[in-house]
Amino acid sequence: MKIAVVLRQVPDLIEPLEIVGSGNALDLDGASFLVNESDDHALEQAILLKESAGATVDVVALDFGDVDNTLYSAAAKGVDRLIKITLEDDKPPAPKAAAAMLAQAIGPIEADLVLIGCQAHDELQGALGPVLALKLGLPYLGVVRGVTAGDGGLQACKEFPGAVMARMNVQLPAVLGILAAESPPRYVPVSRIRAAMKSTQFDEQPGAAEPTEPAVVVRRMYHPEPAERAEMLVGSEAEVAGRIADILIERGIVK
Amino acid sequence: MEAFRDTFWNTPHWAEYAQYALGTLTVLIFAAGVFWRVNKWRLGRAEPGPWSLKERIVSLVRNGLFQWRLSSDPFATAMHLMIFWGMVLLAIGTAVATVDWDVTKLFFGFQFLKGVTYHAFELILDIFGVLLILGLGMAMWRRYVRRPARLATPEVPRGSLDSAYLLGILMFIAVTGFVAEGLRIATGEHIQTAWAPIGYGLAGLFAPMSVGAMKTTYQFVWWAHALAAFTFIASVPFTKAFHLISSPVNLFFKTPTPPGRLATGLEEGAAKIGDFTWRQLLQLDACTWCGKCQEACPAHATGFPLAPNNVVQRLDGLLSTAAKRNGKGNGQSNGQAMAPAETLWACCTCRACEEVCPVMIEQPRLIVDMRRHLVYQGEVDEGVQDALMNIQRYGNSFGQSGRKRAEWTKDLDVPIKDARKDEVDLLWFVGDFASFDQRLRDVTRTTARLFHQAGLDVGILQQAEQNSGNDVRRVGEEGLFELVREKNLDALGKATFRRIVTTDPHTYNTLKNEYIADGEENPAFDPAVVIHYAVLLDELLRDRKLKPLRRLAYRVTYHDPCYLGRYNGIYDAPRRVLAALGTKLVEMPRHGPNSFCCGAGGGRLWMKDTPGIEERPAEARIREALALGDVEMFVVACPKDLGMFQDAVKTVGAEDRLRVVDLAELVAEATESAVEARPELRPDLAAPGVPRPVTAEPRPERIAQATDEQQVEGD
Repeated sequence: MKIAVVLRQVPDLIEPLEIVGSGNALDLDGASFLVNESDDHALEQAILLKESAGATVDVVALDFGDVDNTLYSAAAKGVDRLIKITLEDDKPPAPKAAAAMLAQAIGPIEADLVLIGCQAHDELQGALGPVLALKLGLPYLGVVRGVTAGDGGLQACKEFPGAVMARMNVQLPAVLGILAAESPPRYVPVSRIRAAMKSTQFDEQPGAAEPTEPAVVVRRMYHPEPAERAEMLVGSEAEVAGRIADILIERGIVK
Repeated sequence: MEAFRDTFWNTPHWAEYAQYALGTLTVLIFAAGVFWRVNKWRLGRAEPGPWSLKERIVSLVRNGLFQWRLSSDPFATAMHLMIFWGMVLLAIGTAVATVDWDVTKLFFGFQFLKGVTYHAFELILDIFGVLLILGLGMAMWRRYVRRPARLATPEVPRGSLDSAYLLGILMFIAVTGFVAEGLRIATGEHIQTAWAPIGYGLAGLFAPMSVGAMKTTYQFVWWAHALAAFTFIASVPFTKAFHLISSPVNLFFKTPTPPGRLATGLEEGAAKIGDFTWRQLLQLDACTWCGKCQEACPAHATGFPLAPNNVVQRLDGLLSTAAKRNGKGNGQSNGQAMAPAETLWACCTCRACEEVCPVMIEQPRLIVDMRRHLVYQGEVDEGVQDALMNIQRYGNSFGQSGRKRAEWTKDLDVPIKDARKDEVDLLWFVGDFASFDQRLRDVTRTTARLFHQAGLDVGILQQAEQNSGNDVRRVGEEGLFELVREKNLDALGKATFRRIVTTDPHTYNTLKNEYIADGEENPAFDPAVVIHYAVLLDELLRDRKLKPLRRLAYRVTYHDPCYLGRYNGIYDAPRRVLAALGTKLVEMPRHGPNSFCCGAGGGRLWMKDTPGIEERPAEARIREALALGDVEMFVVACPKDLGMFQDAVKTVGAEDRLRVVDLAELVAEATESAVEARPELRPDLAAPGVPRPVTAEPRPERIAQATDEQQVEGD
């Protein structure tokens, strides 16, 4: 089985997000990036399938943010090939354009299975997976929690709202939008990452930006505004803790 | 007629030859056994290390010949010294008698074992023979009557019969020796001597026998004695008795590096026996199965699946298997077989086991080497994984932005320099807990005010500081440890300072002992400039740079942090501080080198609670303090301890009886600078709905002046 995994970079939410002056986009200049969490699960799922059923795993990533470290870490986990799509500028392309670039890199792999995180916190509607499937001409199944390979082919566990789970047989080739791998992403020791840095070569491919009309136009981006009844607690830790305690007593939650 | 030693009395001449033949065979078996053992150690890797002959010889004499490391246990010391020296003297006596008879008499025609010398010889041998029997009796009583749990180890490589055999055969040798002596004296063919009081006494018992019967019995007993002795000697390399050799050899070869400097192992950790060094394999053989480590282990005491002696003995068993299989150490191939993962993760690396081990086995090092393999395979506890990922990414285990490291200084009303830019006298390596933990920031600020009050020129590295790596290393993530060490050394290298202070004993340990590449001079600083704040506070009080204005009439107990005490030998400084403040220190039964770990060390702090344990180590420790009676404060000198024990007093429901305080808080309270040290402002004590602890109000007794009364009291 040939598996391709998409690894995206997303802004690290440890630092407060800023909005650009025009008010319709995130200011990514000062942001730090890390691998998208559900993509990390997609990679783990691919490695688990490789270990249990045998597979080659190729990773595809767009070249911005901290992509090199993400790829070295993937190499240390045991992937077979690392494809880095270089960009004309170092800004992440819009989902549609990104999907086109990824499809261009993934197409020649002729992967039986394409795994991608089903969501990313900087993305609207989790669109990249389905759009990528469309570009590749493959079926898409999203919100998948765990994929297993058995005698009868591949089975995916899909989560529906209300925590309803469905086990489905998957006809390959297909694109799966992964929410969670069967087990959480494994730890990669620094020594393995350092070894990967020395021995790993990236397969760099230029990402040709197709002129596309954006599917969604963002008009305004803003921080959440407190609603009428919200009380923002400010002050020192002791003051905030004291106020929380008072509220709990006032509301009769703690006596 | 003058008394003399008639060594082969009443034995046919052929028996003498047979003795020498058997003796030769015994020596050959013994030598082959020793060769087999030493060859097993050679399955291990090389171990470079400093070579200090003097230190090694001192350790050998002190801990080998005089068994100094048993001294905390008088019963064991007496028992073991009696058995050891009893056997040594009796063995020497036999050798001397042989030389007297078959060397000097045979070849040179004279005997030295005669007259007064012979009397003294007999007396000494009788005394040591009695000591041997007493020691063996004590050992048997302890093992088979008192039966302490530590002696019942499931992983004993050769079964518990080994101990019974050893005690039994030694007792048999000693008793038959005395019986033979008694019979020899009873026949009257020797000059009867009261200089062999035991033999003389026994002779009285044999008096009713005929001389012929005595002589026949003597021959049987003599043979039994001789055969038992030869059997014992030949069996030494194949039984527990081998510790007679392996333990002193291990004491001799113990590398004289500081206990706080963990040896660098293989990058992929220890997955099989051959991944340990030869000296670690020697340690496995040196184990005497005494179980003292098990008794001292906080994880074992609180129901975790770890007994350090089991770890050692299981590995020793695997070593034998590996040696039998192919002689190249490939007998075991996965970490799981060497020790269960849950056992390895249960260790707090508190070093209590190593501290009490009479033969200086380094159990934590074995455990960390095996943890390294688990980490290399990516098999880590979820909490540990989060902490390691956070340290990789953000440089701290809290998963906070590095920019928030100095956030605690925002509300600080005293200046603190940026050591990245300004030259400072004292560089404060704050550490993750004191920087990020909300509960500890008040104490960190209190400490900062004390430094300011004492007129110290202090600076911090701000966000250039990273987790020091002490616990990262002990979790087994050597690569990450090296990474944070590189970053910290880089930041320290760019700063100008005279000394480095830290409140965290873990940080202190690694900065002092491990920020030096093996065999290289430290590029950034001399380890001697690293000090712990307890030592600094002691110094400031002694130099009157901090002056207590009130006597704190508290009855307190002090918890020795593992990485300050056992790892770095700092016990007195914090106690001098407590004395200088006027507090009355009541020691817990386990204090000083026997201190009982809070359970946070070695990365345990990051791990999820282990289901099924009896209690947390910190809770056991709080109960120990509560059992002292009227102690109102539990003083700590480690940020992690403060968090651990504040939690523990709550979970054992003792908030109204015991207050957990940091040493700096008490110093601040006594020197009147500690706004935040006041109980009413301590969030943990002043939370609504929580009854105010009865002892929480400070009870300072205003004294007229800061007088000499408050000077340092030594302990």
